[in-house]
Amino acid sequence: MDAARRYAPRVGFATIDGLETALHDAGYLPDRGLATALFLSLTLEKPVLLEGEAGVGKTEAAKALASALGARLIRLQCYEGLDVQHAVYEWNYLRQLLRIRAAQEGTISEEELFGPEFLIRRPLLEAVESDEPVVLLIDEIDRADDEFEAFLLEVLSDFQITIPEVGTITAERRPAVVLTSNRTRELHDALKRRCLYHWIGHPSLEREVEIVTLRVPGIPERLARQTAAFVRGLRGLDLAKPPGVAETIDWAHALAALGREELDAAVVEDTLGSVLKYHEDLELVRDSALAALVEQARAVQAT
Amino acid sequence: MSAGDAIVRQVVTFGRCLREGGLEVGPGRLGDALTGLSHVDVARPDDVYWTLRATLVTRAEEVEPFDRAFRAWFLRRPSRADGRDAVPPPLRRVLEQHTRADGGSPEEEGDPTEIGWSAHEVLRQKDFAAMTPEDLARLRVLLDDVAARRPLRRSRRLRPHHRGRILDLRRIARLSLATGGDPLERAFRRRSETPRKLVVLCDISGSMEKYSRALLLFLHAAVGSGRRVEVFAFGTRLTHLTADLATRDPEKALAAAADRVVDWAAGTRIGDALKAYNDVWGRRALTRGAVVVVVSDGWDRGDPALVGREMARLARAAYAVVWVNPLKGHPAYQPLAGGMQAALPHVDRFVPGHNLASLEELADVLAGIERRHAA
Repeated sequence: MDAARRYAPRVGFATIDGLETALHDAGYLPDRGLATALFLSLTLEKPVLLEGEAGVGKTEAAKALASALGARLIRLQCYEGLDVQHAVYEWNYLRQLLRIRAAQEGTISEEELFGPEFLIRRPLLEAVESDEPVVLLIDEIDRADDEFEAFLLEVLSDFQITIPEVGTITAERRPAVVLTSNRTRELHDALKRRCLYHWIGHPSLEREVEIVTLRVPGIPERLARQTAAFVRGLRGLDLAKPPGVAETIDWAHALAALGREELDAAVVEDTLGSVLKYHEDLELVRDSALAALVEQARAVQAT
Repeated sequence: MSAGDAIVRQVVTFGRCLREGGLEVGPGRLGDALTGLSHVDVARPDDVYWTLRATLVTRAEEVEPFDRAFRAWFLRRPSRADGRDAVPPPLRRVLEQHTRADGGSPEEEGDPTEIGWSAHEVLRQKDFAAMTPEDLARLRVLLDDVAARRPLRRSRRLRPHHRGRILDLRRIARLSLATGGDPLERAFRRRSETPRKLVVLCDISGSMEKYSRALLLFLHAAVGSGRRVEVFAFGTRLTHLTADLATRDPEKALAAAADRVVDWAAGTRIGDALKAYNDVWGRRALTRGAVVVVVSDGWDRGDPALVGREMARLARAAYAVVWVNPLKGHPAYQPLAGGMQAALPHVDRFVPGHNLASLEELADVLAGIERRHAA
């Protein structure tokens, strides 16, 4: 395709292993599926849609990708009512008015007034205009309105943005695009068709121990293992909000800061608040499951 | 035949397997899969698996059918015959039975000279349980208007408005050009209002059977009316119905919904259904800021304490909770069912839903509802 040739080749990786290593160096441990999805997203130049429970590291994955690529991360956080002025561009009216004032008797032309120096660039425009490599993170797309999704679809298909007063701006270099969704609603099929898809699940025990060890430098190995095992046990309970990897890391930080070598019922009781964020969950665990879970987590150590 | 050709043939045939499994796999996606495979090491089965999955799957629900097809095709292991697929859609049968069973109700033999408004009025007051298929067809038309009413919320989006209070600087800057920079003419914007999210949980168990069809017609109209309506059906388990109800033709929509609801007209476990909703959808923050409507007669085979607990969870996150109970339309009705009693403390509005008039009332309630715990 002719159109494709206009774009400068993007910095990428020759193999999945290469990307995996780079993400690892950026402090992120993806499983093979996520690494493959990100690799393909770079190679096929297609956006990738990441879904999964809260706290499994969807946003982190995009940040790590940017740092692995040595690219700039541009983040667009979506919310209900997000519109073009907050996602793409807005005119700097104050400066415009001041300029008109300064020019006095109407000697300023409309073109001048709507020139680039009066343009406030929001994430999407910034990503399209950027000369350096960019990872564009469109976070929690399911929270934006339908109309915005339709608009986004347009931007993602040809990486062009039209500003009536300026004209059409086309990306010199396509940004790598990561979308995340918490699945509060189904996204449009058209948008999904344009994206690669990956579901991020909770990591395996081994993987989570590795993550904790990587993210909490100097944590005793036994404590890392018991922490991961305990959180894993919590996920098996009937909780309103099972903890994600982010909570495991927070908790491990707290425990390491307390100078613990391993878990016991008393310290878990004291610090459980950094893992469980709902009152009912805290109560449920304190009242019934705590002792058994500590026992279990300590037993994992033995095997 | 080169190795490349072999891969193309394999992938194309696999694509066909996936389509049979219900995935939408077009030529574009197959192309992505093939391009993807040319960049990874095809000797590694896990890389082949993840490459195909990232390119051919578009939603979490498709992962399981994909895995089954992948096992069957690439690993040559027979896919587990899943009994659920073989169950015939029971909805049509059930619906046809009950809409024909008690066709002759007293109102129906009304004065043949009766026309216009009064015919409409009879239909408005007629109990859904007593409706004939013809009644339901006429009801369908009337429901479109009722279902379109929606509570509004303030949007963050600003629209030009002559009585707005926020200066519209973009327009002022433009208007000032004509007057040498003096903003003589002022333009305003104000926050617009957009429909609030509506989440409907509809009981389709045996005891609700007589009302289910009319209520589903109502929900179909609601989904068709615009944005952000999510519909769930529950009996012993919870099913997400929005996508099925999004079809234009109500008959097709109902049939599609019936295909997916496994326990049509079986028992109810309200507490478990609410819990399933809270665990999966509530956690994804669907409830936050939404008006949640539960449609059920409150007859429950599960634990009333669980109903109370889960209703409390629901009510905490929701903007407001409305309970629609068809039985409440009967003068002698008392909320005695255990599930109903447990739920009531967490309900903001408790309304009947046995005929068109009561659904109109529901529409008014929804349009004007205030935030729960509003001071």
